[in-house]
Amino acid sequence: MKRMFFLVSLLFLLLFCVSCQKKDDGAKGEKKLSVITTLFPVYDFTREIAGEMAEVTLLLPPGMEPHGFEPKPEDIFRVSKADIFIFTDKYMEPWAADLVKVVGNGKLLVIDAGQGAKFLPASGGADEHDGEEGAHGHDHGEGMDPHIWLDFANAQKMVDNIAGGMAAKDPANRNYYLKRAAAYNKRLTALDKKFTEGLSGCATRRFLHGGHYAFGYLANRYGLDYRAAYAASANAEPTPKRIAGLINQMRSSGLKHIFYEELIAPTVADAIARESGATLLKLHGAHNIARDELEAGATFISLMEKNLENLKVGLQCR
Amino acid sequence: MPVELLNIEGLWVRYNAADVLRKISFRVNSGDYVGIVGPNGSGKSTLIKAALGLVGSERGNITLFGAPLESFTEWERIGYLPQRLRFFNPNFPATVEEIVGLGLLAGRRLPRKLTPEDREAIEKTLETMGITALRKRIIGELSGGQQQRVLLARAVVGGPELLILDEPTTALDPETRERFYTLLRDLNRDRGITVILVTHDTSSIGTYASRFIYVDKEIVFDGTFDDFCHSEEMTNLFGEFAQHLICHRH
Amino acid sequence: MGVGEILSYGFIQRALIAGTLVAVLCSVLGVFLVLRRLSLIGDGLAHVTFGSVALSLIMGVNPGYVTVAAIPLVMLSSLGILKLTEKARIYGDAAIGIVSSLGIAGGIVLASVAGGFNVDLFSYLFGNILAVGNTDMIIAAILFAVVLLAVAFFYRDLFAITFDEDLAKCSGIRTTTINTVLVLMTALTVVLAMKVVGIMLISALLILPAVSALQVARSFKSTIIASCCFATISVMIGIFGSFIMNLPTGGFIVLINFILFLLAFAWKYMRKGRV
Repeated sequence: MKRMFFLVSLLFLLLFCVSCQKKDDGAKGEKKLSVITTLFPVYDFTREIAGEMAEVTLLLPPGMEPHGFEPKPEDIFRVSKADIFIFTDKYMEPWAADLVKVVGNGKLLVIDAGQGAKFLPASGGADEHDGEEGAHGHDHGEGMDPHIWLDFANAQKMVDNIAGGMAAKDPANRNYYLKRAAAYNKRLTALDKKFTEGLSGCATRRFLHGGHYAFGYLANRYGLDYRAAYAASANAEPTPKRIAGLINQMRSSGLKHIFYEELIAPTVADAIARESGATLLKLHGAHNIARDELEAGATFISLMEKNLENLKVGLQCR
Repeated sequence: MPVELLNIEGLWVRYNAADVLRKISFRVNSGDYVGIVGPNGSGKSTLIKAALGLVGSERGNITLFGAPLESFTEWERIGYLPQRLRFFNPNFPATVEEIVGLGLLAGRRLPRKLTPEDREAIEKTLETMGITALRKRIIGELSGGQQQRVLLARAVVGGPELLILDEPTTALDPETRERFYTLLRDLNRDRGITVILVTHDTSSIGTYASRFIYVDKEIVFDGTFDDFCHSEEMTNLFGEFAQHLICHRH
Repeated sequence: MGVGEILSYGFIQRALIAGTLVAVLCSVLGVFLVLRRLSLIGDGLAHVTFGSVALSLIMGVNPGYVTVAAIPLVMLSSLGILKLTEKARIYGDAAIGIVSSLGIAGGIVLASVAGGFNVDLFSYLFGNILAVGNTDMIIAAILFAVVLLAVAFFYRDLFAITFDEDLAKCSGIRTTTINTVLVLMTALTVVLAMKVVGIMLISALLILPAVSALQVARSFKSTIIASCCFATISVMIGIFGSFIMNLPTGGFIVLINFILFLLAFAWKYMRKGRV
């Protein structure tokens, strides 16, 4: 019994030390603005805009699938200590509103990066054209597709919102932020052009995705026909009819590639590929990135450029 | 030459720093019918459990059929009927037949399948116990008395030489109790099975047991019924009235 | 869509085969677990895999092997549960709760220390019955063979221990060994079967078919057979039904299991006139 007690106290001591260590990392006090961003796109945009003037951190740990994320007490603590908190849009982070309320810090500036973006309704994915099922709208429940950043015009709006917010919070560096934002938006425009050109003259406009319905905005912008295995949340379960539907479409359209998404094991894409003789290609939704990718310096634009390459292969573009 | 089946020497059992049993020593020989009696909390059940190795002891030597308990393996020679099943689930989905069949596990090699001879033995035992009609019934559906007979059948089906029963009749009405004791007597008398019976039903034990042991954390008395009834020491311990009550039945 | 057409898809065929194999072996183990009040062990051990995932990523294990890495930790946890019920005199459900919470807490702490993942390891740990691959099929087949052979071999001992452990000991059965075999097999089943059909199904298949079988049981042997039947039926109806009704398969199978339980319960009630 005594030995049990000793072991348990040792365990508590260990846990305590570990949690102490983590707190140290956050307390690097400097005069820079501290900005906490939720997902990778806002993180990347913000760090571009902020440059040297702010300390930007990612709330979501690398590698974690964001649709199921719930903030921990440690996260709430970090946000309460920050100057600015930036989230994507209320459909992507429904927990953000509550988090902000709980933090209750009058000095905290909260930026809804998606404000004013063009929203599309959430879609079930493979339904519309099959004629096999009719139900729509299985998603977060609010009805809008949250993946706005995959339409680069929306991304530009997000950049503007972020820059405006930062300028308001730190007027001294207003010009700095606005200039950098403009420069970045220019790059986004160039990216958009690359996509438009690259995706013209393709053998097919249809691409199939063995993951969740994330690329609606991208498909919409470039006039592509996009079907996904399941609805807006990556944690949703696919139905067998939908998988069969995708397989049929692969066969009927003669598609040679099927796309899988980042971070999740590509089992559904695999299953579809197996039956249609297709090969797998990755389409990175940029919700979040892997620890290795983060360390290797991946950026939103670099990820999208890779996506473009894969899309060109999948759609058989010249 | 009486064969010694159980020998307990200097047994001490403690639980939560309190003595449950002290200095217990006695011996049971083949053919005996020993009643172990005593008030509630006297440690009777613990004594049985210690003898069977189900409970640990501070001190003491226990031998079964001449072998030390620690290395004893001939469990087919012993039949045990515990006071209550540890987690008795009245909905336990086993038939009488299946449960009696569980008495045929000891002393066999895995996977311990049932042979045709086994099935015959089960048949005969069911008959002896008068529960043949109940064979396909779920144990939980039976009355208390029937359940006890099933468990007794389970204990004897393997033809043990020693039968140990811990308060088997507590929940039974007097009539059923009598029938149970008659069964035991027959097993002891006709089949020569040694019986150790723990009970707090002091009065009826006199009718059947050849010897009884009174336990109250220690052994207060160990001898034949006659000795008990003619002992002044016992009169002093129990009072005349109680002694008379116990002995009157004999 | 006709049955023939549904069956033409490879993923459906694999779902049926792997699903049935897993269902049978879980439902058989489930009878013993439910009767020993260890029903939530499937759930509890699944929570422990959370901790093992964190351990894997700290050790830099390839995501494809995270399942293999989980096995020793989960097996150890199952032994821990057993020890707690024996030594600390805690009932099975509380013991499971303790180990399960420890697994999750340990996982959360370790994950936070590790500073992030490269992939969502959970998606590698938890399979999906609709996405059964060839490796998964082999795993299911081997697990099926191992578990069923073990149960057949130790059947009478398991039966004896489940009925009453003291009586089993007095029959010379090595109860500690058999109990260890039972929980280790359960641990192995949870980790491996989880990879094939996902966590929700494992938990449900370990409990529901057994409980349904207990409603209609006429003997111990028939309980086990009934448990297998309920499980298999639920998988078959679940797969075809979810296809036709366009519903997620895993959840639908669990619902069918529940419906079967209600039917079994109703049958018992009508037969006996009492609950």
